[in-house]
Amino acid sequence: MAQPVTDPAAAKSTGMDVSLEHIVKAYGEHVVLDDVSLSVREGEVCAIIGPSGAGKSTLLRCINLLERPDSGTIRVGDTTIDAGQEVGGKQLHGLRRQVGMVFQSFNLFPHLTVLRNIALPQERVLGRSRAEAEDRAMELLQRVGLGDKPAQYPSRCSGGQQQRVAIARALALDPKVMLFDEPTSALDPELGLEVLAVMRELADEGMTMIVVTHEMQFARDVSDHLIVMGHGTVLEEGQPEKIFTDPATDRTRRFLRAVLER
Amino acid sequence: MDYVGPIASGIPMSLLLTVLGFAIGAVGGIPLALMRRSRLRSVRFISRSIIELLRGIPPIVWIFLVYFGIGNGLIKVEPVPAAIVAFGLISCAYLAEIYRGGLSAVHRGQWEAGVALGLSHGDQLARIIGPQVMRYSIPAAATYAIGLLKDTSIAFTIGAQEILFFADSQAKQSSDALTPYLVAAAAYIILTVPCAWFARSVDRRLRVRIAS
Amino acid sequence: MTVLQDWLGFLPQLASGLWVSVVVCLAAIVVGLPLGLALALGSSAGSRALRWPAIAVVEIGRGAPALVVLQVFYFGLPSAGLTLSSTMAACLALALTTAAYTSEIIRGGLQAVPRGELEATEALGMSRPDALRFVVIPQGIRVAIPPLMGFGVLIFQATSLAYTIALPELLGRAYSIGSSTFQYLSVLALAGLMYAAVTIPASLLTDRVERRMSRHLA
Ligand SMILES: Nc1ncnc2c1ncn2[C@@H]1O[C@H](COP(=O)(O)OP(=O)(O)OP(=O)(O)O)[C@@H](O)[C@H]1O
Ligand SMILES: [Mg+2]
Repeated sequence: MAQPVTDPAAAKSTGMDVSLEHIVKAYGEHVVLDDVSLSVREGEVCAIIGPSGAGKSTLLRCINLLERPDSGTIRVGDTTIDAGQEVGGKQLHGLRRQVGMVFQSFNLFPHLTVLRNIALPQERVLGRSRAEAEDRAMELLQRVGLGDKPAQYPSRCSGGQQQRVAIARALALDPKVMLFDEPTSALDPELGLEVLAVMRELADEGMTMIVVTHEMQFARDVSDHLIVMGHGTVLEEGQPEKIFTDPATDRTRRFLRAVLER
Repeated sequence: MDYVGPIASGIPMSLLLTVLGFAIGAVGGIPLALMRRSRLRSVRFISRSIIELLRGIPPIVWIFLVYFGIGNGLIKVEPVPAAIVAFGLISCAYLAEIYRGGLSAVHRGQWEAGVALGLSHGDQLARIIGPQVMRYSIPAAATYAIGLLKDTSIAFTIGAQEILFFADSQAKQSSDALTPYLVAAAAYIILTVPCAWFARSVDRRLRVRIAS
Repeated sequence: MTVLQDWLGFLPQLASGLWVSVVVCLAAIVVGLPLGLALALGSSAGSRALRWPAIAVVEIGRGAPALVVLQVFYFGLPSAGLTLSSTMAACLALALTTAAYTSEIIRGGLQAVPRGELEATEALGMSRPDALRFVVIPQGIRVAIPPLMGFGVLIFQATSLAYTIALPELLGRAYSIGSSTFQYLSVLALAGLMYAAVTIPASLLTDRVERRMSRHLA
């Protein structure tokens, strides 16, 4: 069940699920993340919004080290990684086992059926038997509303269906935290709704989620915590409702006006 | 390195065989490619059969057929014309397939636009579709020409005086048989590898332009 | 009908020549293909000491005509103290050509797998060997198989060049029949058709396989 965010006991007993401290990342001269810190409690849904090029994707990809920060600390559950130092394979594996990720472009494996897409990583990463993995895959497919699609190949599925498969694939590894990078941006609006519905359900069930999104409605209604980024820094963070109605900085105000008036 | 001069003297002949063979194919490939897209099944079948036979039989067999087969019994054929005819025939088939690829790359809308403008079929082909097909075909045709230059080495077997011919006679004259052949290999590499790199980069640029 | 009678007479010799052609072709592929895979991995390796020699072998193998490579192996190497039988020279020379060309085909196939899928394997926590084994190679092979088959047809045709090093393959047999009977046109035509009888069905099969393989890879 969802942890009430305000319950201090819950926060103390489990602590933070994810925290990033002083993350710096530059491509050559270009500083993309400039001393960014962030923490997400267990069961919390954190939405990250901001203009294009703000560094949202880069930040998200730093969490599971798809992108290697130049410095800073990353902690997920009981794994702590100092980005300035050599990261061992075991540490990296420990980190990634706790973090699931959903990409804008789905990134399903086109040569495998929907069922195998979900089962294969379980077999290889968690060492589950094929039967066990496929049972779990079926269960998740039903949950995302695709119980009739296990034998289909991804190319025969709509974008919304593919993205739901990708969510199931990540969930099958029992992650502590799910990262979403603009999961609906590549989709037509009505197909995006299918995906958002699944994400909403996941949030209601208490999954810890960090969601980069351009869907203001979702950020406002579903998230517990909102982060507005701009030019590699956190412009503002806090309760979504408060930021939407009364933004603290001019830049946030301008960004929100631009996206809401579209 | 006293082999280099004599062997290099074969380069003009290698280039001559390549250019003339390619030129014959560039022209002869056009009707074959158009026949491949004919409305008549029988015409399509005939052109397809010709193309498959020309490509399916090894070049050296074609050269022998022209030089020994026709040359011996029917009429007298010199090695160089025989080689040009054989490479020309083979090039017709390969270039027809390259043009066919270019034809199918030209957008359907272009044909429809031509019809809407009331152009005759011939006018459309000559003025609208043709030039575009040529543009699309350049990278593949360049790659083919490079392959053809290497294939012209086969003409040495019937005595055409190209690169390998001179390398072979050098090898047979001296005690060192290895170096002349290596020099010949180097000559082909020097002639083809820069061309291949150039063709690949043109291909990449053309792809970007067409895609955008 | 005399042509057909002639052909019937030529057939046994030509058939045994065709067999030699097929065997040499298969040997070249069996030796050349693994070498091609190694060159493909080598030429996309991070280390320069590995990459540059691999690229050099590939460019030389593709730049030098197969006919010249054959001459090097059969007539040239004895000057360096290494004498090979014509069969051995043909197999090794064509294997070298095969390795150079197939390495580029294989490399193209492996690179065709989109980056996003590799990131997905990383994000899922799959190991690098697992990603190669279950995601990259199966898809890369699908992309590479049709051009590999197409190349197989070309290398089969290239066995005819070994006639110049006295290998008794199909063309060699045809030529020797021609020079003893003076029926060059007839015997060469039959030999040509025998090559075509192998290459044309193989090409048609390649086209079909290509269409099949691209089915799920949108
Ligand atoms: N691999 C890279 N090399 C160089 N620069 C990069 C690279 N990846 C990202 N950048 C730059 O980093 C900046 C932040 O990129 P990022 O993708 O994180 O932005 P974003 O906030 O996710 O934008 P969007 O909303 O468009 O997805 C951009 O200016 C981008 O050009
Ligand atoms: Mg982004």
